[in-house]
Amino acid sequence: MSYYFTILSPTDTPIFNIAFGTSKGGGDGIARFRFPDTAQYMNQFIIHSSLDIVEEAQWTNGGMYLKHVDTYPPAAAYISAFLTPSGARFLLLHQPPQLPNSNTGSLGSSSLLGPGGSTTRASSSSIAANPTSPQTEEAVRQFMNEIYESFVKTAMSPFYKQGMEIRSPVFRTKVTAAGKKWL
Amino acid sequence: MTSPEDATPVKPPPSFSPGVARVPSISRYPDDPDSAHSIDAELAEYRSGSSPTPSLATTTELPIRSSSPHARSIRSSTPQLARSSLGSPFEGRFDGSEDIRSLIIRAFSPAVAVYASDDTDELVRNKGFKGGFWELIRPFGETVPGKVVIRDSVGSSRAWEDYGVRFMDLKGFGRTPAGRESGRESPLAQMEEILEQQLESSEGPLGTTIPSKDAQGLPIASPLWKILLRQILSTTSAAPHETFNHPVASVIAISSRNGSPLETLRQLYAESSSGEKRLPDWVHQEYLRYYVLVHDEERDDIAESTKLYDQMKRHFGLHCHLLRLRSSQCVVTDDDSVQVPICEWLSPQEHLSGVGEAETLVDLGTDGTPYLFDSDATAIRTFIRELIVQSVIPFMENRVAVWNDQVASRRRGISGRFMSVGRRFMTFGSGSRSGAAGASGGSGNYDSTNNSYSPDSPEAVLRKMADFAFMLRDWKLSASTYEMIQSDYKNDKAWKYHAGVNEMCAVSMLLNPLAASTKIKLESIDQMFENACYSYLTRCSDGPHALRSLTLAVELLKSRGGSATESAARWAMRVMDFGLVGPVGQILFTERVSTCYASKTPVSGARWGARRRKAGMWSIFAADQWLKAGKATQASACLEEAERLYADVLEVDGVFPMPEMQTFVDNLRHAVKVEYLGTRGFNTQDEPAPGELEATEETSEQLANVGKRAHRHSLIGLPAQLDAGSLNTTSGVRDPEDPPNDDFERA
Repeated sequence: MSYYFTILSPTDTPIFNIAFGTSKGGGDGIARFRFPDTAQYMNQFIIHSSLDIVEEAQWTNGGMYLKHVDTYPPAAAYISAFLTPSGARFLLLHQPPQLPNSNTGSLGSSSLLGPGGSTTRASSSSIAANPTSPQTEEAVRQFMNEIYESFVKTAMSPFYKQGMEIRSPVFRTKVTAAGKKWL
Repeated sequence: MTSPEDATPVKPPPSFSPGVARVPSISRYPDDPDSAHSIDAELAEYRSGSSPTPSLATTTELPIRSSSPHARSIRSSTPQLARSSLGSPFEGRFDGSEDIRSLIIRAFSPAVAVYASDDTDELVRNKGFKGGFWELIRPFGETVPGKVVIRDSVGSSRAWEDYGVRFMDLKGFGRTPAGRESGRESPLAQMEEILEQQLESSEGPLGTTIPSKDAQGLPIASPLWKILLRQILSTTSAAPHETFNHPVASVIAISSRNGSPLETLRQLYAESSSGEKRLPDWVHQEYLRYYVLVHDEERDDIAESTKLYDQMKRHFGLHCHLLRLRSSQCVVTDDDSVQVPICEWLSPQEHLSGVGEAETLVDLGTDGTPYLFDSDATAIRTFIRELIVQSVIPFMENRVAVWNDQVASRRRGISGRFMSVGRRFMTFGSGSRSGAAGASGGSGNYDSTNNSYSPDSPEAVLRKMADFAFMLRDWKLSASTYEMIQSDYKNDKAWKYHAGVNEMCAVSMLLNPLAASTKIKLESIDQMFENACYSYLTRCSDGPHALRSLTLAVELLKSRGGSATESAARWAMRVMDFGLVGPVGQILFTERVSTCYASKTPVSGARWGARRRKAGMWSIFAADQWLKAGKATQASACLEEAERLYADVLEVDGVFPMPEMQTFVDNLRHAVKVEYLGTRGFNTQDEPAPGELEATEETSEQLANVGKRAHRHSLIGLPAQLDAGSLNTTSGVRDPEDPPNDDFERA
């Protein structure tokens, strides 16, 4: 599973971006998206297009965590969203790895850990197996909540103005840690 | 080639001309002629220019022929259906979807076989129709003049103005299935070939395919998409599992030249019902025979013919017609010559041969379509109207009523349910009627070696009845019948039948204008399409049918509006995922996804609910793919469309909040522009392309939110190299915050 996490300001400007991979089930925490390296703009296109749905879902869903809101079928990309009181939105794009039979080559690094063992473990771990399962929703919710706490603390910093890009290395570390912990 | 300096000032293609593309969307509606007609204005400018390049001057003389048949069909079909579906909730959202619906409805017209005697064919061949009588009447059958009144199963009648039938050659009917077996994938390949041809023919130096817009400035379905849709709908030939291409009636024609007319008629009848021209076994043999006497106005005596006609009437009853034609060939210069209408429904194969034929005739100044005397055309129209209104429609209504009474109602009742359950478990009952009963758990009527039911079995009759009801546009009856037989086919493992029934059940539910107001569950429709395409593709590996059902799903769900548009987009993505269409088809489906999302309108009074960003994204992708295919004109049109879609959701027009998106779109715009001008023969070397691109790369790395606007300048500035006039409009957009950056990028 590969993740692309973005915080968008109320004007849709990204103020924080990070891409990471799963650390569960023997994953090495490196994002491997299905797009070729030259097409990484796809993540942003998909995130941006899902704002249509987020804008609709924020009126119909009572919680701050909107769960899985959108899917981009051609790349099997799933979007979960979280709203904050300041109007900033957390969007998480998650993409399950391609089926092992179709790309054994790109899984080469993880197969070093244990041939076959890593894939079975990954598939038994509920998060990687099914992006819309309740377990995944719950894990994403924990992740979002943890980031929300860090985000509030970062936003309270006297040197941070609303809508500014978040450059704090501490925040980045915390996001990475939360990703490692929950996803 | 002239360089831009000494030619007339050239307006850049619309997608990068700042004045047009960056007008806020509100002013882009009817009161703003500027944007809707930008290309037209540009063309006009071109023609009146003082020194147009020679190649351009010659090509502007050529009419864009490829678009003419569509213009005709649009004109002839839209108002009628809009009128006939009064009170449907589709009003007020007239974005060409009515047109598409009409197209889909007319795709499933009754088929009428034509079997003419040799002397008739010869008579018609003298008039310049190589294919004989069938070819002469075929184009006229597609639209019946005037209203056609059809009574449905509950007895209420309804008038349709766009009714038609499809004439098919009985001689060609038998060998079609055999030919299809050899090249199963060929229809799809042929479809792609046609699309490429159409692209080529519209791709002349100035052959801009002007995106057609309706009154609101919203683009309606592109002509290419319509070509593709029509091809998809006419690909499928007669097959056992659906009866749309099985003849409903057969026209048997003789001419007044015939020496022994009644004997010939009898012989033709015998040949078509039991002789060598007999239809395959899986076709229901009980169809209407209609006898036509073609009278040669110029050589033969009308009194003789009238006498013969009276005799025919006495022999064969009411289903007769005397058609009076002139036997000499008509040419354009004749006083009362009219052009024969162009056939709308040609299978890809016919299309390929037909297009080639038309091309050779371009030099002669004709269209390649033959001409007819006005009197002949009127006579044929009268004949067809009489055939349909007085014979075919009543026959079909009657058959539906009889089958509904005898077969369907028995099945609907409680005893019928018990019968079918009993049959399922004990394998007795009507199963014994069929000779080829396979005792493999099914009802026994299904012949698994031929993969067909015998036409007399209740399963086949019900399917035929539902198809008849569908062709008579009684979608309520057809939907309920399809639903009823669905489980039978499933139990018999007749997968192709199962797929077809699922497909048509969903289609008739979506077409039923009464069901549109009541809430029908979209999930069940989605499930049916899912079943259909799974059975077609996985169980029967039938690409053309799967493509047809998916395309119908896309179009009908889209025309339904609301949340159905999203499922339409999803089905279009499925088509691309399955790889059922070729490269050009893929791009067209990408465009279609964009249109599907764009047709979702926001909740009234709210800003949310639309899918503008998604539509814009797919439009950008389509532009990218067009560019990769080397079609800069189409790419430019898509870009323009994307800008229009994004205009509502972006804070500043043309400026994306996401840096990587911005870079991609900017690069794409530039590349399209270079290509666009390149195909028009301008020297793109003069442009600062390489430097600009480097600057783009450089700046994109250090792009923060603020830097983007400065970066945007470099591309806004680009058209200024060609058109000094547009610079004035760009300066308005300029961001006054950081002018020094401009110098940096220009350096």
